Amino acid sequence: MKEFWAAVWAVVWKDLRIEGRTRQTISVMVMFSLATIIMFNFALGMAANINLAAGRSVSPALLWAIVLLAAILGLNRSLALDRENQVFDAMLIAPVPRTALYAGKVISITLFTLLLDAILVVLFTVFFNQPYYLPMVMLILALGTIGYIAVGVLITSMTIQSRTREVLLPVLLLPVSLPLVLPAAMATTTYIASAMRGEASWEMIQSPVLLVIAYDLLMIAVGFLTYRFVVES
Amino acid sequence: MIAINGLVKQYGLNPVLRGVNLNVAEGEFVTLVGPNGAGKSTLMGIVATLLRPTAGEVRVGGWQLPEQADRVRSHIGLVSHHSLLYRDMTAAENLSFFARLYRLPDAEARVATALRKVGLFARQRDPVGTFSRGMIQRLTIARATLHEPDVLLLDEPYTGLDQEATGLLDVLLREESARGRTILMITHDLAHGLGLADRLAILHGGRIAREVTRSEISPAAVYDLYAEVTM
Repeated sequence: MKEFWAAVWAVVWKDLRIEGRTRQTISVMVMFSLATIIMFNFALGMAANINLAAGRSVSPALLWAIVLLAAILGLNRSLALDRENQVFDAMLIAPVPRTALYAGKVISITLFTLLLDAILVVLFTVFFNQPYYLPMVMLILALGTIGYIAVGVLITSMTIQSRTREVLLPVLLLPVSLPLVLPAAMATTTYIASAMRGEASWEMIQSPVLLVIAYDLLMIAVGFLTYRFVVES
Repeated sequence: MIAINGLVKQYGLNPVLRGVNLNVAEGEFVTLVGPNGAGKSTLMGIVATLLRPTAGEVRVGGWQLPEQADRVRSHIGLVSHHSLLYRDMTAAENLSFFARLYRLPDAEARVATALRKVGLFARQRDPVGTFSRGMIQRLTIARATLHEPDVLLLDEPYTGLDQEATGLLDVLLREESARGRTILMITHDLAHGLGLADRLAILHGGRIAREVTRSEISPAAVYDLYAEVTM
């Protein structure tokens, strides 16, 4: 077990090092998110206070749409780096379990996406004037992110060698993540709306959050069981 | 050290290797040559545990592939025409990363020693993206030998190197061979391959078509032999 975690940490350390030097993954995700928020903010008339209610009612859905699409950019970028100069081959011939390589990638890309989530919480609170900073909202975001990246790393590992990977990844990943996104978005919408009325409680979102947790556990298990077949030929 | 018997590899219905038999003794340096599409890289991929054979027996250090691939991995090092290094990490960071993956004790000291061996200690804090092709290939050798593997696999290591870098790589490979490592190298450069190796094997039509030792043939005659075998 100690050897497993040493390999996981090696992969995470490497990804953080590269990101710390280049800032290419995070900056692309943040720029995309910022541009989308500003665009929607104007499109919904929020900037001129014309249609405040409409903007607020769609903001949780918009938040999740941004997280999903920005995470795709992060997934593609992070796994493409490993394929550059065939470095991944050198990782595959190292005496480490494939599951450690999978876990390392899931952890590092989840960390990048959680950082994006934190930035989005601030932006959505400011732009939409809604309480996205509530711990329960951040917990839903974090849980949704973990499951999405767990399945995302698996599918990106399948599509990364394809010349059409930019098209293939969303086409495969978004439908697979529907059972995660629907309850996560529902829980976010319900909790934010209730909090605005001062009625927010755990009981109101218990079922969808448990569904998200179940999806997370299932996808992590699937990743651990199938990753070696995805990366070996 | 490497024993290959009746190795077959098919991609779908397309057979690439059709019954390869090749043995490489401990400490021996064998060069594998053959025309494009002969299956050289596929053979190397199987020995490197990256590909699964369709049929046949492959043993490295006595362990069978792919069943005992986990045991084999700590005993092999791979150098290819790709650098297998991260451009955005420094030379030292790249080696440290692989030292962590291989769980090497005294990783920092090993990395420093490896960088000195290939003459890159002074550039250890520079990103690999700023290195010349020759420097990258020397760093690749350092990465592949960091864990002191018994077997070194070289997949067209001279690709893209200028004359000076080729000479430096020759010196490094001779040193590795003198250390007693078993080396299997793929190259298109017949004379060069024969000059370094103890034995030359020609892969053609998915099989080993001919094997000669260095003492059996002159560098000039190796071209005629290759043409005769691959016609």
